[in-house]
Amino acid sequence: MRGEDSHLGEFLRFRETLFLRGTTELKKLLRAKALISAVFATFIISNIILFPTSANAASKYPLVITSAGFQAKINEKPTRIISLSPSSTEILFAIGAGKQVLAVDDNSNYPLNVPKSQLSGFTPNIEAIVALNPDLVILQIDSAKSKSVRDSLTKLRIPVVMEKSAAKISDTYNEIELLGKVTDRSSAAKSLTTSMKKRITTILSASAKKERYRFFHELDNTLYSATSKTFIGNVYKDFGLTNVADAASSSDSAGYPQLSAEYLIKSNPQIIFLADAQYGETAATVKARQGWQGIDAVTNSKIVELPADIPSRWGPRIVDFYEIVAKAIK
Amino acid sequence: MKLEMQQIKPVWRWQVNAVFGLALIVVSVVAISIGPVSLNFNGIISTMLGRDSLLTDQERTLLLEIRLPRVALAALVGAALATSGAVYQTVFRNPLADPYLLGAAAGAGLGATIAITNTGKSFSVVLPLFAFLGGVLAVLATFLVAGKFYTDPSSLLLSGIAVGSFATAIQTFLQQKNSAVLRPVYSWILGELTVADWESVKWAAIYIIFALGVLVKISKLLDGLMLSDEEAFSLGISPNRIRMIAVGAATLATATAVSVSGLIGFVGIVVPHIVRGITKKATNRALLSIALFGAAFLVLADLGARTLIAPAELPIGVITAFIGAPFFLFILKAKRGRSQ
Amino acid sequence: MIKVENLSVSYSDKDVLNSITLEIPDGSWTCIVGPNGAGKTTFLMALLGMNAYSGSIKFNGREVFKDMHRNVAFVPQRPQIPLGMTVREYVGLGRSKIDGWGRERRIGRAKIYQTLEETQLIGMQNQLVTQISGGELQRVLIARALVQEPEIMLLDEPTSALDLHHQITTLNQIEILKDKGVTIVSTMHDITLGAMYAERIIVMQNGKVLLDGSAAEVIHSNELKSAFDHGISVHTLKDGHTVITANKIRNEVI
Repeated sequence: MRGEDSHLGEFLRFRETLFLRGTTELKKLLRAKALISAVFATFIISNIILFPTSANAASKYPLVITSAGFQAKINEKPTRIISLSPSSTEILFAIGAGKQVLAVDDNSNYPLNVPKSQLSGFTPNIEAIVALNPDLVILQIDSAKSKSVRDSLTKLRIPVVMEKSAAKISDTYNEIELLGKVTDRSSAAKSLTTSMKKRITTILSASAKKERYRFFHELDNTLYSATSKTFIGNVYKDFGLTNVADAASSSDSAGYPQLSAEYLIKSNPQIIFLADAQYGETAATVKARQGWQGIDAVTNSKIVELPADIPSRWGPRIVDFYEIVAKAIK
Repeated sequence: MKLEMQQIKPVWRWQVNAVFGLALIVVSVVAISIGPVSLNFNGIISTMLGRDSLLTDQERTLLLEIRLPRVALAALVGAALATSGAVYQTVFRNPLADPYLLGAAAGAGLGATIAITNTGKSFSVVLPLFAFLGGVLAVLATFLVAGKFYTDPSSLLLSGIAVGSFATAIQTFLQQKNSAVLRPVYSWILGELTVADWESVKWAAIYIIFALGVLVKISKLLDGLMLSDEEAFSLGISPNRIRMIAVGAATLATATAVSVSGLIGFVGIVVPHIVRGITKKATNRALLSIALFGAAFLVLADLGARTLIAPAELPIGVITAFIGAPFFLFILKAKRGRSQ
Repeated sequence: MIKVENLSVSYSDKDVLNSITLEIPDGSWTCIVGPNGAGKTTFLMALLGMNAYSGSIKFNGREVFKDMHRNVAFVPQRPQIPLGMTVREYVGLGRSKIDGWGRERRIGRAKIYQTLEETQLIGMQNQLVTQISGGELQRVLIARALVQEPEIMLLDEPTSALDLHHQITTLNQIEILKDKGVTIVSTMHDITLGAMYAERIIVMQNGKVLLDGSAAEVIHSNELKSAFDHGISVHTLKDGHTVITANKIRNEVI
């Protein structure tokens, strides 16, 4: 019974994708019940010819995946997922697995109607998680005692997908596809990554610049910044921009050094991105800072107030961030 | 102003211990019965008594592998901190001494930071060990820095402050260079019993019970440390030797507690005074009572930590501070009142 | 009997006690007098075994030993008073190292009560030690020494901080102990007072024994004046008591 269901489902999805190629013959074949097996054969052959990888294959449960160095065994398709990572939440909903999500952590706020709970993603409370009776938990490896939390949940027979923060955009794609596989939404995941890659390529080629702009990405008004080795720094790097924080990259192994005001003024960035706009920093407050008046970005009013969350999540909305940067350097 | 001649009748000792012991058991039962997942009370009792349980497998695992070790750890850590605090208050003749004097806290924090910084994702395995070593080494350093004045409590205290400041400075420097460790380190410093497993409970129990045993055994002699050295000598107590043993055992208990649960404040200062207030015993024969009360106190505080703002967890240090801070004011008032 | 032979104690190259030899028989009261810095307190400390010394100190043939507290008790001049302790607990400290647990403790408790009664402290047994007067504190200190059931009692300036009445009452109490057979060694500033009670007076100066003899001998000796480096007058009163007073010299400020 289950086998038939998945095959039929697969077939329907396959039909959606082939629809664009205008295979009206398939539509006719569908109505002929007796020819289901021929259809079935066609499906298999087409699958092998046109999609050599199994990227769009239905997830077969039980499923064993490895993520962030930890294995998880998922026995059946998860329909009561608890996501303790805002980025994962965005991904899950973007690939259409939103119906399978039971609850999300207290920092997950996008899309707007997510089932937000009071569970903490930073200091997970095992009992509170168990009380909701999930069948899968997505946990950030940076959270407190994450390994012990995972061990305890595993002992209670709840599979845990460990998630590591993305270091570059390709990590994001891998994450999306992994979650697609886990939730049996692989094809949606694949289309998402494909469209993301396409949009980014378009954006990048449209803004190919001859000069390399110097920029400063401000995390807070004590001048903490992010170097090119961070996730966000990599985005800027894709645009070929020069990050003034890179000169201080040795002072913090994680890539978040604090710059001195003197250095910043001397390095004379041409654009300033304010990641602390949500905390009250604006173009006006920056212009009012003592000694900053001579900086190019201030003189030419090239100060960009970034929206909250978008620069700090590694999910589908990172493309929006690419757009913001592209617009800023136009 | 009329001076009140206080009459103080101490409470009979073994009865106090029996009452506190009972309180500990009751509080522990309450603690394992309450949590975000509600378990059938009869099921809990029958599982604890080893009979055929009325709980599902998952519930059994939750009770035995998640709640029970956490309550056990809270009891051990509470006893360790309360007793160490009482002993330090005696040795340093200072009613506001806490178990983290002599640089133990700063040393453990530094150890934890080093562990988190250098071992990447597997730090949770080595962290307790590093914190423990950090605490013990810091106290040893304190003795070395005090040099030949190591037997003088005030010199020891000063050198403890010096060692502690140094350790904190190194810790801050490491954190600056590795900002990714900030959150794990601070969450550890605030004190967490969030995840406890039987392995940590086993090691904590071995060290803490041993250290507390030593302290209870020499508890009578500890009273001599409250007198001048000559008086202690005349009573047959060798003050230097007893001081060393007491500080050593208390440090062992403290370092162990810190390594499994981070820095939980106020327990070490507040509980000895509460117990002395109840039993009206100023001598160290109250040490066992202090240990039992400390255990019950922290089990209760941990219960609060995981239920007050459920499903989020309150750091346990916040709860002990909430109770401890007003209590401090109370002690200050009482001291001032008495000396007038 | 306390037998001291060639006892010398030095602190960082300075000789505080210089080759002292004497014997103190059981049941006697010896009073040690002398100017400040003569080494009186150091001598008591040495008897307690607190200092490193050369020479020998023997109690009934045994050199200063570990469990001496069962035989030798000490009443300090300046006690450290812990906060929050009642008189009974404080006196009970005397038995810290003597009693174990269980039955021994019960015996110890009985002894403490008995001592509190004998020293008339039973009425204030539940009061805080920090709240009693100087005279009462002295009684408490003696009581604490008594619960050790000692053979020898060392007292460091037991009357220096007391008023007239309490000076006499304290010394009377010590005399009762002496009559019971306890050997008393006390240091004192007031020779007159010491001579009233002690049968033997030892005058120390600069770490050495200057005079050693019965109270009468010492008081009337000519060398007494040189011990204090100051003019004194010895008066014998009609009732037989001898009083020593210091001569007041105007403008002598050092």
